[in-house]
Amino acid sequence: MRKIVLTISLLLSIGCATYTSKMELSRDYYHQGRYEDALAGINELVDKAGGNDLSLYLLERGKIYLAAGEYDLAITDLQAAVTRFWEIEGTVSIADLFKNTLLNPGMGEYQPDTYEKILVNCYLLLAYWLKGDEEGAFVERNRIIGRIRQYTDGGAEEERKDLDFTFARYLAALLYEVEGLEDDARIEYAEIERLHPGLTPPAVNPHLTEVAVFTEIGRAPVKVSTEIRGYLQKEGDELLGFFTFPDAPAPLVFRTGVGEDLKIDRPGVLFTFAFPQYIKQERVAHSCKVVIDGIEAGEAVPLDAVEETAMSAFQRKLGLVLLKSAFRTYLKTVAQTKLKDEAGGVIDVLGKVFSAVDRADTRSWQTLPAEIQLFRLESTPGTHEVYIKYLSEDGEVVRISERVTFSMMKGRKGIVYVPGAD
Amino acid sequence: MNRFLVAVLCLILMVGCGKSVREVDLSKDVAEDADFSSADYFRITDTMVNSLRVSNFTEQYAAKHSGEKPVVLLAKSLLNKTDEHIDTRLVLEKIRTAMIKESMAQFVDDQAFDLALDQLNLQASDLYDNSKAAKIGNFVGAKYVLRGTITNLRKREGRENINYMNVTMDIFEVETLLIKWTDEVDIKRISKKGFFR
Repeated sequence: MRKIVLTISLLLSIGCATYTSKMELSRDYYHQGRYEDALAGINELVDKAGGNDLSLYLLERGKIYLAAGEYDLAITDLQAAVTRFWEIEGTVSIADLFKNTLLNPGMGEYQPDTYEKILVNCYLLLAYWLKGDEEGAFVERNRIIGRIRQYTDGGAEEERKDLDFTFARYLAALLYEVEGLEDDARIEYAEIERLHPGLTPPAVNPHLTEVAVFTEIGRAPVKVSTEIRGYLQKEGDELLGFFTFPDAPAPLVFRTGVGEDLKIDRPGVLFTFAFPQYIKQERVAHSCKVVIDGIEAGEAVPLDAVEETAMSAFQRKLGLVLLKSAFRTYLKTVAQTKLKDEAGGVIDVLGKVFSAVDRADTRSWQTLPAEIQLFRLESTPGTHEVYIKYLSEDGEVVRISERVTFSMMKGRKGIVYVPGAD
Repeated sequence: MNRFLVAVLCLILMVGCGKSVREVDLSKDVAEDADFSSADYFRITDTMVNSLRVSNFTEQYAAKHSGEKPVVLLAKSLLNKTDEHIDTRLVLEKIRTAMIKESMAQFVDDQAFDLALDQLNLQASDLYDNSKAAKIGNFVGAKYVLRGTITNLRKREGRENINYMNVTMDIFEVETLLIKWTDEVDIKRISKKGFFR
């Protein structure tokens, strides 16, 4: 008996590192603006990544490369991820289904959320534009429009609203203006006006020299694995057991009479019910002011709440995730109690091992911001410098961004991207 | 018997793991999915060159200009209005290659200007024998420009990918802006992914 309890305790202490914990260091460095350190960490993760997580790590690295100004490398990584996501979209892998259901939900290939698929193209558009490849940016704009149409056609109103990214539409509208396609730009601005009134420019004028500054604030929420574990053992007419709940100071131990009806064939049953929780990240900055050529030009306006979109998408999937988790718990418990085992308890031990190491799938794109903000201003031709003052809830300056230099041509639009801050 | 079985198993494993390389007959090249593919390069080029052949563009020019061939310039690339990153310059270059091979036109190299200028400046310097150096002032101006646009309309529904592509090309006269030749290629392709991967 003591041996079993010891084994189980040992198993409980075994922890497979979750995606969120593996990404912690790189994520922190990224949001602190330490891109070289973030890249060192993520390169190691990419090298070690199996096929299941590779595309997600490439998304993270592509985003870091973009922030670091390595546009070619950003494009390579983001395109590789996009290509794989397109290949697997709408398909099912039997091996993944088996691994997800029976072993661990994080063992299958990463399937991005729809909003992540749209955002990849937005960041690709920025990478092409900032690299100076206008045609490449136009292609990404076309993809964005195609994606939005694909995902919002026929979907539920609530989902449509979430996926109709103002950020994506705004980038598309701007690029239509750059290409001189005023009507297309007008259509996109009209959609933006419908979604978020007050964000669109008063008139579409492709020949007006203007700069649009896109800046990111805060961190996207991250998933953590929450586990409820328990051990049950029948001794005579009594059921003994304990449960460990997340955040509980000590396990709940109980002993109750159950009579002879309850049958547990093996010495004891270990079970784990693991499910993901999406946790909003603490935000230091709540708003920001844009400083151009040393002059405080104004306050940026919220364009897209990525955090809310991610939370909504998660809520929509949560029911299915919980159902799968319950099914997995049931199967692993059954393996310990019901399956015939003539090999000296191998199935029992395996069932306990798999129960003990069960973790929820915590994968999500974690270098995304909580919010994207926009500042648009008429500009003059020439070279300019911009930086962002991030403000706390009380209006105190909590951080100042790196200075970004950009060039404006007469009668053209400029796009400046200032990556995320906490 | 056992040895035979082991040998067969080894052979099967070797076959399964071996690298396979296969040459593809480009004239029978087919698209792998609904996206733009290498087969499309050939289809577009063949159609356009055939169209130029039957249009008598070269002959008409030669008749008016004492047997001379028209001098054509390539646009930088086809205007890519699709949702795919395509090397559209390749379409133009393949057409140029075919036209030069068939003596349909002469082309000025739009991408060699800087290189040529550097060479001319160098050869005009004291480093070179000026009597044998290439002379400045002999660049030939293009009378025509070959250009085009590639557009697509795509619809994805579930595992189905429906892609309509249109490539329109033309040759316009620099002096008059008159279009002297134009044609188009339409491609519509539907691909469907398997349910299982």
